[in-house]
Amino acid sequence: MIINERNIKVWSTIGSRATFGIAALELAKEVDNLMVLTCDVSTSAGLDRYRKTYPDKYLDLGIAEQNLIGVAAGLSSEGFNVITTTFAPFQTIRCCEQIKVNIGYMKQKICMVGIASGLTLGNLGFTHCCIEDVGILRTIPGITIISPSDSLETVKALEAAIKSDKSIYIRLTGSSNNPIVNDKDYTFEIGKSIKLREGKDLTIFCAGAMVYNCLEAAKILSEKNISCSVVNMHTIKPIDKDAIKKASEKSKLIVSVEEHNIIGGLGSAIAEYKATLNNSPKQLIIGVDDIYSKGGSYKFLQEKHGLTPGKIVDNILQNLK
Amino acid sequence: MDISKDIEKIKNFSTEVKKNILEMAFTAGASSSHFGGALSIVEIISFLFSHKMKIKKNNPNWIDRDRFILSKGHACLAYYAALCEVGYITKEQIKTFEKDDSDLLGHPVINRKLGIDFSNGSLGMGLSLGIGVAIALKKNKKENNIFVILGDGECNEGSVWEAAMAAPNLNLSNLYAIIDNNNFQQTGSNKEIMNTDSLYKKWSSFGWETKEVDGHDIEKLCKIFEESEQSPKPKAIIAKTIKGKGFSFSENNNNWHHAVLSKTLYEQAKKELI
Amino acid sequence: MDNKAKYQKIFIDSLSIESAKFNEKIKYNEIPEWDSIGHMTLMSGLEEGFKIALETDDIVEFDSYKTGIEILKKYKVF
Repeated sequence: MIINERNIKVWSTIGSRATFGIAALELAKEVDNLMVLTCDVSTSAGLDRYRKTYPDKYLDLGIAEQNLIGVAAGLSSEGFNVITTTFAPFQTIRCCEQIKVNIGYMKQKICMVGIASGLTLGNLGFTHCCIEDVGILRTIPGITIISPSDSLETVKALEAAIKSDKSIYIRLTGSSNNPIVNDKDYTFEIGKSIKLREGKDLTIFCAGAMVYNCLEAAKILSEKNISCSVVNMHTIKPIDKDAIKKASEKSKLIVSVEEHNIIGGLGSAIAEYKATLNNSPKQLIIGVDDIYSKGGSYKFLQEKHGLTPGKIVDNILQNLK
Repeated sequence: MDISKDIEKIKNFSTEVKKNILEMAFTAGASSSHFGGALSIVEIISFLFSHKMKIKKNNPNWIDRDRFILSKGHACLAYYAALCEVGYITKEQIKTFEKDDSDLLGHPVINRKLGIDFSNGSLGMGLSLGIGVAIALKKNKKENNIFVILGDGECNEGSVWEAAMAAPNLNLSNLYAIIDNNNFQQTGSNKEIMNTDSLYKKWSSFGWETKEVDGHDIEKLCKIFEESEQSPKPKAIIAKTIKGKGFSFSENNNNWHHAVLSKTLYEQAKKELI
Repeated sequence: MDNKAKYQKIFIDSLSIESAKFNEKIKYNEIPEWDSIGHMTLMSGLEEGFKIALETDDIVEFDSYKTGIEILKKYKVF
């Protein structure tokens, strides 16, 4: 894919879902044995152009997610490079046992893309939000979990996933007019976090759409003379242990921010490793506090669950006292 | 028996339901709403809430009420509209549709004060819930019925067929599955995405008392439900409907699965309703 | 460049249409480039190019090159 300033801007405007669709379209040119499978969500996943251009590399299985995974596994077993996609809760929880058996246990390689994860579709209620996917999939051995920070990283993640021999879940968050975190091309490596901001007082680990919010929070904190590192932990599993170790050696406080339940997601993954270290600092886990709240717009829900830059700052300041 | 008065009553109810749907769709603004799939069930839900179902106006928690589950939860515009007409939701409350902190989101969220008996939205789950309710009603020796509306696209979900297999085995004569057969799902027609073929044959072969009906013909709806009543089997009513029915711009137009109702179209729709 | 020429350029660039293929009769969903993704890109291109913020109803009703001209009159582009 051509990564230039213009494309980065366009992808930001159209959002990560539509960017995924465009990336799939480009991949299909080079990857002969590519198959993209969906559950009646072609337009929601930006795949309308893809399905019209490559009908023989596309399969819509209707609203049937358990069948989706089985069919995908069957194709993969015969040498196809398979991507599955639908809305995150249905992509991960609806067909969880099929994921366990076909992907985790049988190790059929599949790239699953969960669209509109987190709180984006809050006005449709929590059946269409997803604050559980990372936690649930982390407990299935053999699945890499990536949460891209912006539309460009969505492209990078997909390209890496297709080349990888491992099964990968890509968790797409954010909506259209997705803020740009990465404004030029860069090296993306699965499992290797990216330090976006250097600071000496505390380290904020984040992923997905929360990366932008954390960068904004860090700016606000620096005006209050609090110096933060911000680390884009795009790969939640396998987690970058080295980054956690280094941060634990230098920072007074470790903060994790996720558009996910505080139970089981990024914060938990960091805490699990940090707990094995001697003398590591306290960790503040910011996320959805194990609740299905009332719904509303994405902005409203970020505010409600303490995920806006301002709310992140307040929470950190409280914990520094 | 002269049912013309009943038909008139149901027709009037359905006009009010459509008015409420328009208001909510317009209120949703840029968030869009699932307009088409709500319109296809207007007559069905009006028939149920104004005529067939044993309910009490202004008393959503009446212990002897019939139960209703909107398994195709995204058609909630029609559901909320009907709940408004039976006095469970106010005209002010429907204006909060999809607004921040609203009780009325894009899929039903359980709220027994408002008469929303169950949460829905993840397709394929409502019929199983219905089975549980049907069993409970029988165990509690209640003569009530439970009505579940499903989508035809929703019938892609395997969980629908687990429930479809179970209900006749459990002799649930008080369970009605009404399939809104509008021939479309989110991204295309059923034929294009996953052809459900003859829903009549499928449900019938699973052991349901199965009927087909024009889902917009109130008189025929009355007749078909009356005919099915005495059967000891669970009832499957395959309602042939038109997605987006009722407005010239939305009828059979799948772009209206989930779309923005602009001011221009809202004004046009109001004129078409008169 | 006057606004008419700018408008045309934004169309061609946003939808990635070959100049030779462009004509003023183009409509939403009638050419492959102007699908829902193309539409979002076009709306963003117009907002940025003319420094305006389009209302939702205008984005929804913007279904052809010609309709667009009428809509943009509201924003004093034409």
